[in-house]
Amino acid sequence: MISLKALGKNPFKTLLIFSSITIAVMAIFLISSVSQGVIGMYSKMIKTDGDIIITQKGISDTFFSNVDIALMQKIDALQDVASSYAMIVGASPIGHIPIAGIYGTTQNHMSHYKLIKGKYPKEGEVILGANLAKQFATVSVNIGSKSFGISGVFSSEIGFEDGGAVMNIEDAGKLFNRSASFILVTSDSPNSTDDIVKKIALLDDEIEVKTTQNFVKEYNQFKIIENSSLVVSTLAFAMGLMGIASVMSMIVNSRKEEFGIMRALGKSRLFIIKNLFFETLIMSVSAYLFAFLLSLGILAMLPHIEMLHGYVNGTLSLSTALYVFASTLFMALFGSLIPAWIASKTDPILLINQGSA
Amino acid sequence: MIKAANISHFYGAEQVLFDLSFEIKSGEFLFLSGESGSGKSTLLSILSTLLKPSNGELLIDGESVEKIKNIDYFRQSKIGFVFQFHYLINYLNIYENIALAALEDKKQNIEKILEELGILELSSRYPNEISGGQRQRVALARALVNEPKIIFADEPTGSLDSKNSQIVYSLLAEAVKRGTTVVVASHDMQIENYATQIIRLKDGQIL
Ligand SMILES: Nc1ncnc2c1ncn2[C@@H]1O[C@H](COP(=O)(O)OP(=O)(O)OP(=O)(O)O)[C@@H](O)[C@H]1O
Ligand SMILES: [Mg+2]
Repeated sequence: MISLKALGKNPFKTLLIFSSITIAVMAIFLISSVSQGVIGMYSKMIKTDGDIIITQKGISDTFFSNVDIALMQKIDALQDVASSYAMIVGASPIGHIPIAGIYGTTQNHMSHYKLIKGKYPKEGEVILGANLAKQFATVSVNIGSKSFGISGVFSSEIGFEDGGAVMNIEDAGKLFNRSASFILVTSDSPNSTDDIVKKIALLDDEIEVKTTQNFVKEYNQFKIIENSSLVVSTLAFAMGLMGIASVMSMIVNSRKEEFGIMRALGKSRLFIIKNLFFETLIMSVSAYLFAFLLSLGILAMLPHIEMLHGYVNGTLSLSTALYVFASTLFMALFGSLIPAWIASKTDPILLINQGSA
Repeated sequence: MIKAANISHFYGAEQVLFDLSFEIKSGEFLFLSGESGSGKSTLLSILSTLLKPSNGELLIDGESVEKIKNIDYFRQSKIGFVFQFHYLINYLNIYENIALAALEDKKQNIEKILEELGILELSSRYPNEISGGQRQRVALARALVNEPKIIFADEPTGSLDSKNSQIVYSLLAEAVKRGTTVVVASHDMQIENYATQIIRLKDGQIL
């Protein structure tokens, strides 16, 4: 096959196109999948443990929300409410680690964190996520300005939790100076959820009550991550694609002489376009596959990179993969076939002269 | 066989061929001579359908070139071209370069022609691995492979010594004997010994 020979005889050019396609495709994959992963992880954390979430009115970020924990008693008394618990989420330096997630929870939610060592925390104690625990061999640790005893270690498949610390909500309240970040409520049956939302909303006008599903959908942080990753990955994508198209058209222009010779020998325009099509196809498909595998490899490694404390996770969706594949192919072909088509219209001898000049 | 009628050519605003009319009969060995820059390559490109003249008409076997339906097949089967610079494809070896030009049913000729030109043992080398004179012979082999009715050669002996030039001319002369029409553009006056017709160009005009 003549396309393979052309690729093989120009290893440097081939490598250049190959790597520019690979890098462009990888950038898109990594950026979009890391942001998808972070969103997925956070929403899983909230969704699994309740049907309704109560936050402070007008505060879009759970880190800054403050609701009165006393509300729990009134909520538990409502019809169709199965249970409720409160949490404080915050971030603080822990020992020598500059920043980690701190979760303060009411006793009835403590069992959510699966102990693999030791006991659940009493007042003045914490349990550490398995990933964070690797960093500490001590019996106590400084969080903020206080020293906490380490009573045990838990494990969680959610990266945020596994890299964080859990304590009683009263301790967290003192640390972050609030009553509760949010209250999560479980209803007896899914049908009654909307009803309970309305009733809770009447209890206090300082609060915002939503189903966790709606909350996750509307949560500002997710939107910011989603939008910014969309912008960044679109830019990376556009740059990558433009790179691909321009490298391809440069290559075509540098081969005008060759195309002119072929035309002079009686090869049809179709023959030239067809060969270039296969060259481009082979190159972009293999570069895409290479980038895809590399990205999968990097994504699989992410949770194990110490530096990231398991905070960063990535998932690659099939639709992203297909979309990137289609556009890579399109741009590569667009970049090579258009100039080839234009070139093949030129008189063969002029093409040869342009090429060798 | 080839009829040029009032052919003129411009590169941009510069006119390099001036209203040329002449006829080349079948089986002729035409020598196109003239100084450097006189327009030999340009005229040869026009006669071989590789360049469209700015004005005038080219008829091959009585048919206007503009009207030929499948110009690609026409070029491949009827015309052989030896360029002023050999113009081989650098990523194909010698054999493949010739095979690229060959029609399916002419592929069996390749080895015979390489043998005749004394370059058979170079078959699997690449164009940048052989000498300039050898490249010129490969280019000639490529032009001969389809046993075309007309061969155009632009300075085919440009990079050959006089002995090798003689070989090329006699090969062309043999093709003429078999009924092929040959048109050669060159500075080399040796060709006069083989030519049956001579056209002298000066500043784009026939002397
Ligand atoms: N592609 C081009 N664009 C512009 N001018 C050109 C081009 N090709 C040739 N010319 C000009 O046209 C004139 C004729 O050129 P041509 O190549 O036909 O001459 P030639 O007789 O073949 O010369 P040589 O013996 O040096 O090969 C020259 O003045 C040259 O500068
Ligand atoms: Mg010339």
